[in-house]
Amino acid sequence: MDASSLTDWLIWLPIGTAIVLWIVPFSRYWTGGLALLVSLLEVALWIEQAARFDFGTSGLQFETKAEWFKDLHVSYHIGFYGFSLWLAGLAVIVMAACIAYGFWVGRDRARAYFGSMLFLTGATVAVFAAQDLLFFYAAFEAMLIPLYVLIGVWGGPNRSHATLKFVIYTMAGSLFMLAAVIVLGLQQGTFDLVDGGTSTSRWIFLGFAVAFAVKSPLFGFHGWLPDAYREAPPEVTAALSGVIVKAGTYGFLRIAITKLPEPTAYFRTTLLAFGLASLIYGSLLAFRVRDVRGVIAYSSFAQSGLIVLGLFAGTDLAYDGAVLQMIAHGFVSAGLFLVAGAVERRTTTGDFALLGGMAKGRPALATVFMTLGILTLAVPGSANFAGEFLILAGLFQRHWAWAAAGATGIVLAAMYTLRLISAVLHEARGSTVADEALDLRPAELGVIVPLVACLLGLSIWPALVSHRSFARDRPTQTIGAQFK
Amino acid sequence: MIPAGAWICLLAPLAGTLAITLCGTRISRVTAAWISTASVAVAFVGAIVAFAGLLGETPHKRSHLSTAWTWLEAGTFKAGLSVLVDPLSVFMMLIVSGVGMLIVLYSVGYMDGDDEERRYFAYMSFFVFSMLLLVQGGNLLILLAGWGLVGLSSYLLIGFWHERPVAVAAAKKAFIMNALGDATMALAFFVLILHGRSLDFGIAFATSSHLSSTAVNLVALGLLGGAVAKSAQIPLHTWLPDAMEGPTPVSALIHAATMVTAGVYLIARTHPIFEQARTIGLVAAGTGALTLLVAGLVALVQTDIKRVIAYSTMSQIGYMFLGAGLGAYANGEFHLMTHAFFKALLFMAAGLVIHALAGEQDIRNMQGIGRLMPRTRWAFLIGSLALVGLPPFAGFFSKDSIIAAAMGAHWYGWIFWVCALVGTFLTGLYTFRLYFIVFPGEPSPFVREHYDAHHGKEGPWTMTVPVGILAVLAVIGGWIQFAPLWTPVTTWLAPVARTLDIAEPTSWEEGISSALAVALGLAGVAVAWMLYAKRERAVPVVPTLQRALEHKFYFDELYDALFYRPSAAIAEWSRRGFEEPVVLAAGPELGDETQLVGRGVRRLQTGLIRTYVLALAGGLAVLAVVFLSVR
Repeated sequence: MDASSLTDWLIWLPIGTAIVLWIVPFSRYWTGGLALLVSLLEVALWIEQAARFDFGTSGLQFETKAEWFKDLHVSYHIGFYGFSLWLAGLAVIVMAACIAYGFWVGRDRARAYFGSMLFLTGATVAVFAAQDLLFFYAAFEAMLIPLYVLIGVWGGPNRSHATLKFVIYTMAGSLFMLAAVIVLGLQQGTFDLVDGGTSTSRWIFLGFAVAFAVKSPLFGFHGWLPDAYREAPPEVTAALSGVIVKAGTYGFLRIAITKLPEPTAYFRTTLLAFGLASLIYGSLLAFRVRDVRGVIAYSSFAQSGLIVLGLFAGTDLAYDGAVLQMIAHGFVSAGLFLVAGAVERRTTTGDFALLGGMAKGRPALATVFMTLGILTLAVPGSANFAGEFLILAGLFQRHWAWAAAGATGIVLAAMYTLRLISAVLHEARGSTVADEALDLRPAELGVIVPLVACLLGLSIWPALVSHRSFARDRPTQTIGAQFK
Repeated sequence: MIPAGAWICLLAPLAGTLAITLCGTRISRVTAAWISTASVAVAFVGAIVAFAGLLGETPHKRSHLSTAWTWLEAGTFKAGLSVLVDPLSVFMMLIVSGVGMLIVLYSVGYMDGDDEERRYFAYMSFFVFSMLLLVQGGNLLILLAGWGLVGLSSYLLIGFWHERPVAVAAAKKAFIMNALGDATMALAFFVLILHGRSLDFGIAFATSSHLSSTAVNLVALGLLGGAVAKSAQIPLHTWLPDAMEGPTPVSALIHAATMVTAGVYLIARTHPIFEQARTIGLVAAGTGALTLLVAGLVALVQTDIKRVIAYSTMSQIGYMFLGAGLGAYANGEFHLMTHAFFKALLFMAAGLVIHALAGEQDIRNMQGIGRLMPRTRWAFLIGSLALVGLPPFAGFFSKDSIIAAAMGAHWYGWIFWVCALVGTFLTGLYTFRLYFIVFPGEPSPFVREHYDAHHGKEGPWTMTVPVGILAVLAVIGGWIQFAPLWTPVTTWLAPVARTLDIAEPTSWEEGISSALAVALGLAGVAVAWMLYAKRERAVPVVPTLQRALEHKFYFDELYDALFYRPSAAIAEWSRRGFEEPVVLAAGPELGDETQLVGRGVRRLQTGLIRTYVLALAGGLAVLAVVFLSVR
């Protein structure tokens, strides 16, 4: 297969399959099987791509470019840089796990469900591959449509409320972004991200920033998050927190910071303050909420704050750390939400008051849950620690006070994660935990263990991502040169 | 050869953990226990190989850095996954894997029959791996990784019996207090990265010599924060007594012999930084002096056998901090070694008693157990004598050098010296209070009733043999150094951490300190004998002091009021006062508002496509105008 068409395949294979699934009336079994097969094929395609990728050279790789609206200089332009390749890898692996989970659980209305999941996969990869502003916008919006459906149809009892909030928040953010996209494109005379230059408009920056702040989410823009994370089916929440929200932080890096360097510098302190507020506020809430998904949701929110801190620190270490943290957190939160789903299936609840003592007699569940929890709290030696360490070290170079304040996150993460672990696994058996509630089944292990394995692999060698995200040794220079 | 030994030493216990975890229930509990023991034994062999290799070299060449691959790289910062083999790390490797091997062997008997024996042994091997990573780490980042992982294994093992809420709470407390230390250490590292771009030992130490005095003091303070948390020194000490909720061999291995002494290792390892920041070095010494007194006092009133020994551990680590902080690194490390022997011995002998009494830990119920367990009694007596530091037992050789080292250090040295000597009196008193209450005399009815005589002996061989070996080491382990006449340990460590001149006592100082320390230790024993064995005098009762001691000087209450409650209150306020009413507006008590919002939003949903398009287009137009006009 031609190298550059790999990217096309990575985007259009799942979307094409999704359309086929929607149209052709396969049986439930075949639908799920086909979706799983395609999602695994995606992983294989991505591995092929990563193996061929030259991390040493700067510039776009696996590039495809075709004219779209010629007079507006809009084109179908896709390709990967180091950091976007890692995010695409995160997307295909996590989505494969989520689709496998959905298959195992046996979601009803299978064609609609698996079609949506595959469409979501393709759209997400498209976001990370897009090198044209309008195509980026289209892909960014295309991610949302299947999500609305997935939360609204297969979600929990309060799903319509959650979906409504999610729609309002994300649509509002998108509107600002659309305006910013149009103005930036017209201003530059091209919508191409690679060809176009930089802009100094603070308003354009704010337009993008609002959209990405909703998506990431950042403090004040996170109102959609707790409900959506609680009400969506567990595998959709896993996809959402593991992959989809990374589109927000990715957008900050690829567009806001790269294309708008002057406004980035101007608003740096503001964004750092938002990041810090998210980190601390999210951690504090994660320490107080009383349900499994709530803790993971607020912890993800806090981690988004940490990633934004890394991106807007604007130093070499922090950029590398932010990319590493996006990947590591993507895996860990996806894994945790899937385990949370497994717990809920056994007990029908995520309420701490009704849970407890699940470790007894369930060694696989206890081991997986404990391992993911320990990675979440970023125990030194883990990939998540490496990311956090680099972000804070880079932040320290910006100003020591940011890093000192951010370091409280280390202690807070330990507090809320250990609380989560003991509430589910330890102490007296909860009233909803039946003796006959099973340990993790082999199928569940088959879904979750690969995610854990990715994390352990990254913990053994975090430099794989941290040093292969930006072509040059100095990410600041790479970004300053707009990745050219 | 030398790096190979070191890597085998490091990786064997990890392989043991993986084997036990992955095999799960396919192997029997006993097999898991022996896999763990064997893995640590292999580590010990690896350490001996590395040691033998170093012995064959000239002293100044005894340093080998072996890097497997670049662990973390970002920007121009680079840190390898590397192990360092030098006299200091080999010294620690031998202690960790050697004592570790004996304690894991002891666990084979102690944990026999526990439901989750496999998990226990997987954790134990993982701890030994983490501790070896800490002491072998070839740069500060790998050291920090080991530092965090020992904290993790400590958490897992304290909370091993996770159905007991107290054990879970103690585990969390230990982890969180150590996370605080991790954070201060990380901040110290950030300063070094900012100024030197590297965490390799050599470069980091060179960097520290160019830093401003404020900066280097902060670096040292950050490191000290980590050391104080890990080694349970005041003010981050309150987790250690609670950690006694873990199985007794865990207390022996992690909370006496190895992990809690990591702070001393850290100071010795990073001594060039502490020498740049002399003030902080003295703060470390002062912390040690304070802790050895406070812990010695609190130990006087504890009634749980393991807690008495835990406070004694804090107190002894106080001595090590005193030595290392003053610059007598070799003396601190030497005391670390002998302490590992006699303290592990005490814990394991106590474990035999607890085991025989079906889990009883209150010393008031143990009276007269010595009659039934004569060999355990002897082992405990040897450990106690070594702890008090009477010749010819191990503690005498190591502790007295630290006390003597304080004499040379200006006027404040005398304060430390007096503290250390008072500490020896307290040590004699609390140690033999414990011994006289538990062992001599007629067995109490409780003991007779609960003593498990089915075995016909004091424990299975897997338990008694390690205790026997440690008893021998607690006697002869100190003989390898008798300062100032015979100093192989100091000489061995000199290439890495040479004792500062100021902390080098003269023979006269050594002599007078030893004589006083032995005399005061004996005085403590004598008082204990009068109060608790002969009962010639009533135990003095000073209600206020007693209450303060029983509440451990109110540290727990203080931290609860100062940190936990305010932060929990802020978090709770964030949730109830802001998140729910403002951000979510969806709590059950806010149903009305939710409905109002819903009603409002519903009005927007006219269902008419043209309204939506109009709204979208209108909004877009407004924004476009705004953006274009103000750019």
